[in-house]
Amino acid sequence: MRNKIIKYIIFLGIILFALKSCLIVDKYSAPKLENNNKMDARISITPKPPFETIYKDGVDYMIARGDVGKFGGEFHTSAIGEGPKTFNPWESKDATSSMLGGMMFDGLVTTDPYTGDVIPKLAKSLQVSQNNKEYTLTLRRGLKWSDGKPITADDVVFTWNTIILGGFGNTSTRDNLYIIGKLPTVTKIDNYTVKFTTPVVFAPFLRQLGAPIGPKHILEPITKKGKMAFSSFWGVSTKPSSFVVSGPFKIKQYTPAQRVTFVKNPNYYMADKNLQRLPYLDKYVVFIVGDLNNEVLKFEAGELDILSVRGNNAARFKALEKQGQYKLYNLGPDTSTTFMCFNLNDRKNEKGKYFVPLKKQKWFQDVNFRTAIDYAIDRNAMVSNVLYGVGAPLFTAESLSSLYLNKDLAKGHPKDTQKAKEFLKKSGFFYKNNQLYDKYGNKVEFELLTNAGNTERESVGVIIKQDLEEIGIKVNFKPIEFNSLVGKLLNSYDWDLAIIGLTGSPLDPHSGKTVWEPNGTMHFFNMKDPTPSAWEKSLATIFDNAAKVLDIEKRKKYYNEYQQIVYDQKPMLYLYSPVTIIAIRDKLGNIAPTPLGGTTHNIEEIYIK
Amino acid sequence: MNIFAYALKRTIQAIPLLIIVSIISFTIIKLSPVDPLAELKLNPNITPQTLALEKQRLGLDLPFYQQYVRWGWNFLQGNLGISTSGEPVINRLMERIPNTLLLSFTTIFMTWLVGIPLGIYAALNWRKPIDRAMTILSSVGMAIPSFFFALLLLVFAVKTGLFPVGGLTSVGFENFSLPHKILDIIHHLILPTTVLFTISLASLQRQVRGNLLDVLESDYVKLAKAKGLSENTVVYKHALRNAINPMVTLLGFEFASLLSGAALTEYVFQYPGLGRLVLEAVMKSDINLVMASLMIGSIMLVLGNLIADILLKIVDPRIGEG
Repeated sequence: MRNKIIKYIIFLGIILFALKSCLIVDKYSAPKLENNNKMDARISITPKPPFETIYKDGVDYMIARGDVGKFGGEFHTSAIGEGPKTFNPWESKDATSSMLGGMMFDGLVTTDPYTGDVIPKLAKSLQVSQNNKEYTLTLRRGLKWSDGKPITADDVVFTWNTIILGGFGNTSTRDNLYIIGKLPTVTKIDNYTVKFTTPVVFAPFLRQLGAPIGPKHILEPITKKGKMAFSSFWGVSTKPSSFVVSGPFKIKQYTPAQRVTFVKNPNYYMADKNLQRLPYLDKYVVFIVGDLNNEVLKFEAGELDILSVRGNNAARFKALEKQGQYKLYNLGPDTSTTFMCFNLNDRKNEKGKYFVPLKKQKWFQDVNFRTAIDYAIDRNAMVSNVLYGVGAPLFTAESLSSLYLNKDLAKGHPKDTQKAKEFLKKSGFFYKNNQLYDKYGNKVEFELLTNAGNTERESVGVIIKQDLEEIGIKVNFKPIEFNSLVGKLLNSYDWDLAIIGLTGSPLDPHSGKTVWEPNGTMHFFNMKDPTPSAWEKSLATIFDNAAKVLDIEKRKKYYNEYQQIVYDQKPMLYLYSPVTIIAIRDKLGNIAPTPLGGTTHNIEEIYIK
Repeated sequence: MNIFAYALKRTIQAIPLLIIVSIISFTIIKLSPVDPLAELKLNPNITPQTLALEKQRLGLDLPFYQQYVRWGWNFLQGNLGISTSGEPVINRLMERIPNTLLLSFTTIFMTWLVGIPLGIYAALNWRKPIDRAMTILSSVGMAIPSFFFALLLLVFAVKTGLFPVGGLTSVGFENFSLPHKILDIIHHLILPTTVLFTISLASLQRQVRGNLLDVLESDYVKLAKAKGLSENTVVYKHALRNAINPMVTLLGFEFASLLSGAALTEYVFQYPGLGRLVLEAVMKSDINLVMASLMIGSIMLVLGNLIADILLKIVDPRIGEG
């Protein structure tokens, strides 16, 4: 018996030894945290001169600003999630679909990725009239759809009048254009000129001109069949050959749950400095990956050329830069904002019960209480511990990459427990056994929610819980299912504090009005209050006024004021923004990532070295 | 004809079962606090008008029982409804079902091809070192969690570059020649099949071994041996026939898990199969898609049992009218 046991042990030992030798030891174990500080500084952006237009053989070519490259090759990138829901850019409601559909159709104007200015794209020039209400756009001559038909003012007028303003597909573009209950109008001047007129001066309209333009000869018969037919047109099961596009790439094949393959559009109107038609790449492949981990594996295996690197991976990726033949680019804070929101609701539900218990209302409604919490939390700890240093503390309602950031507020303030306690004292809070009580003798204790599964927010919640313990507040931190959190925020209003995040536009704060206007659909901190407070009303006025001036400096003044109000009133405490770090393979040429344009803003001139 | 009548009877019996399954699943999905529109609601670019249209399109504005009746009526007519992505559910399922079947059939084929002989071999060499070695290996095979094993193999693929990291086809697949296409798919199938094969091989081999050992112990085998029949005749003609009966039932269960058995492995390998689709659908509360896959799963289970019973009747005439 004993012999047998010994035999087994030896046998197991041999197996284990054999298995051990199969393992390949990772020579680059993750470097320690301090390595994060050696992360490359944010890339410096030198704006490029405006795009040139050269007229040759009847075509107004738009000249790319990079170096002359080589033709051929493939570019492999990825999209996380279940893949596109449609390739129809006028119907898309999710980011992946918008990105993939949008790549195939250019708009009249686009955003300069270096400066954020609005610059002409399909259009050659853009003029705004004296009264700031009329926009005249002249199209480039000689442009062709991928099927060879010319792109003319008719396509523009059709796309705007019938599809966008006519309410086909996702109507959100149109809904956001209503001002004083009216929509802009579009008229054709001649074959290459169109004029847009807004009912009053409306600044956000300029960027809306970037909406993709569609081919009238293909889409008009579909719109005649009705809105349902249009919504399902160019869906994911459409034959790729039926697409007629104006952008640099055209879909070639969609393999569900695996990838979307694009091939170059031979009729694209951008050219390099030698007047050769772009794009350089033959193929552009977007892999559909289920989660972040798989994306990282695919990049490491060389299947992807580009990867957005997360904080916890950044140090390891930095160490492997040479071996993996890629370079990391630090694009600075991204456009997302993570914040902690107070529930300022003071109303009763239909059963006559308060949404928020009365004693808690007294705390949350008190600006001193909110300020105390603001001073008690340690944003730097969040950045260094949760984001591994790859992030920046945030104090403003606009993201750090926004063109309209209020720079005076952006510096913020450090954590200051003493100051926090002073603010609490001002409102009559007192301490007994290191526990905070309000002036009526109620123990201060509330619930903090966030969506479960988001490990970043879950860790931030723990930090906040500990920080608030220091000023004697007991926080019951509860990560709950994303959907139920949304239900509480938007419908049932039965919550105290919540950590959530939103992605704003760095180019125009106007879309933020859904959060800040008292009747906005995402006015989380006081949903649908018929009697909003004075500062909430003033926010609505500011957003209204800011939309009515075109001058960027004047608009900046308005948006600075809104950020100041939010900073003073603190209905939401902004916490941090992650820093975008992108790994791009060395073999790619003309790589020029910018914070505003991302990495593929110049996809037409990216080439394989 | 007898078998035909039996099948009909079983099919009719299955109908109330399926109805109950559908009501329970529908209720559970509806009771869960998941809102299929939650993501749209938090998207600043989506206006309330768009949301209202979406709600109407998905039938979410109707009361609960009406939603169920509407779903059930459509289901009976073979209309599985549309998924939240706006595509008909049937299209989304049909995209994935062939891929999952490919993976399942490859696995089942491999497992049975290897598992049964291994089981027999182990039983015949009972308590010899080779049997013990196989016992250890199959215990390891049964104990290792599929997702963990899949992850290990993925890391292996990344480090060595010998295998693709997930997926089913390579870029440019549509332009490959036919032999190249087949080789490409096999290349992608090796790792996921290895995971599923290892796990199901272990249990199949153990089952065959156990059954055969039981039979080899029985009196009639001893009698046959005593009669002087050759070892081969005893084992392969008499013992194995009796030992294989429980395997037929197992085959019925294999049929039931054809479409759903590999979900975890599919997810880790980013295999474009049904498992990944349904998992994503559950997360997003895409009710039509989830209901369709649950119903298909139940029908496959009922059908699998039926097939097993019928097969059992054929291979073993001793089994009478149940």
